[in-house]
Amino acid sequence: MAKRITIDPITRIEGHLRIDCEIDGGKVTNAWSSGQMWRGIENILQGRDPRDAWIFTQRFCGV
Amino acid sequence: MKLEEVTDSSPISGVSRRDFLKFCSMMAAAMGLPGMGAQIAEAVTVQKRPPVLWLSAQECTGCTESLLRTNHPSLERLILELISLEYHETLLVGSGKQAEEWREKSMQENKGKYILVVDGSIPVKDNGIYCKIGGKTALTLLEEMASQAAAVIAIGSCASWGGIPASDPNPTGATAVHEIFKSKGIKTPCVNIPGCPPNPYNFLSTVLYFLTFKKLPELDEQARPKFAYGRLIHENCERRPHFDAGRFALQFGDDGHRKGYCLYKLGCKGPETFNNCPIQLFNDVGSGAWPVGTGGPCFGCSEMGIGFTKPIHSPASPKYFTPPSILPRIDEKRGHGLTIAGVAVAAGIAGAALGAGAVTAKKLGKDDEEQGKSGSREK
Repeated sequence: MAKRITIDPITRIEGHLRIDCEIDGGKVTNAWSSGQMWRGIENILQGRDPRDAWIFTQRFCGV
Repeated sequence: MKLEEVTDSSPISGVSRRDFLKFCSMMAAAMGLPGMGAQIAEAVTVQKRPPVLWLSAQECTGCTESLLRTNHPSLERLILELISLEYHETLLVGSGKQAEEWREKSMQENKGKYILVVDGSIPVKDNGIYCKIGGKTALTLLEEMASQAAAVIAIGSCASWGGIPASDPNPTGATAVHEIFKSKGIKTPCVNIPGCPPNPYNFLSTVLYFLTFKKLPELDEQARPKFAYGRLIHENCERRPHFDAGRFALQFGDDGHRKGYCLYKLGCKGPETFNNCPIQLFNDVGSGAWPVGTGGPCFGCSEMGIGFTKPIHSPASPKYFTPPSILPRIDEKRGHGLTIAGVAVAAGIAGAALGAGAVTAKKLGKDDEEQGKSGSREK
């Protein structure tokens, strides 16, 4: 019988990450990672002065 | 006194008492509280380390990075050993269930006593599904954590007024912390430390002030500490003399840019952004270590309605004209007897033509009289 383990939040990284694992007979048989946060920067960029793009894109990640 | 005793009386291992007191005095000076260094040192030494919980919402971790970059005397150590950091997603050792259980335990044990720091905006669209931690939305977590905190510090522009995620068209309904408080009726006092990232010393000064005096520092109408956000960047900018004299960089890399002229015509938002960047500087590496100092126009990252809103290359609308605080007064108190040249400098009109000086002198005299009646604008 497969067992499912969820680790949320994954710490010591930038952002909000969640990992789901399916374990069967002591072995990982399937796994999913999912970002738990979305800001929509791609949508925010549309229609702006291209010279402004860097102030948004460089802030995807502050690390 | 033996050396060991001196070293032992510092609350931080590996930091001498002398360095610790120096740090406290520096913090006191930053807050405009000269001579209070010793009192701050006592407050943070005698008390039990205050619990701090840090909630990350729609953020990029830049605020945390900024906080960890400071290094005299080893500030990350100071933060980790002076306060008791109970919960911080990026710094916690435990993950998943462990992390969340610890957060709940700490909240229960320190109910009403902990400081909550929030970085990142809170998405409210579609019931807040755009940011989840441990299966709970940031919105739910903020409500839970803020209602039981002694005080809340919203660090960074995102938490203070929405920042990048709240930029038009705000796809996730990103909302500032104090606005959530308003809509949910949360009464916990909240301080905003905007900036992208904010200066870590402005944050730390606020925390130390709270620990020492058991109240929040004086705040402006946007709930920002006045000691840090009381003046425009333009007022204390080292390139201000170039602005006053009408010497501008017109293009990146041109002669004026290379000579360090004023960046106003490249879109610098210093004249409408309230912050202490030119004085506090960044990364403890000496003079010039701030955006304008390195030749990049300020884009108003900390100012609502300017940063991430107004295009970089559109010119700023100067808020008001005053000489920088580091210069002595050059105008008469009542605004009489000014020389035209003096007014051109005081008024700070871009490239003020001498012919326009007389008109300006009249206006400036009036303003000063009014200002004299109502007392100084702010200190």
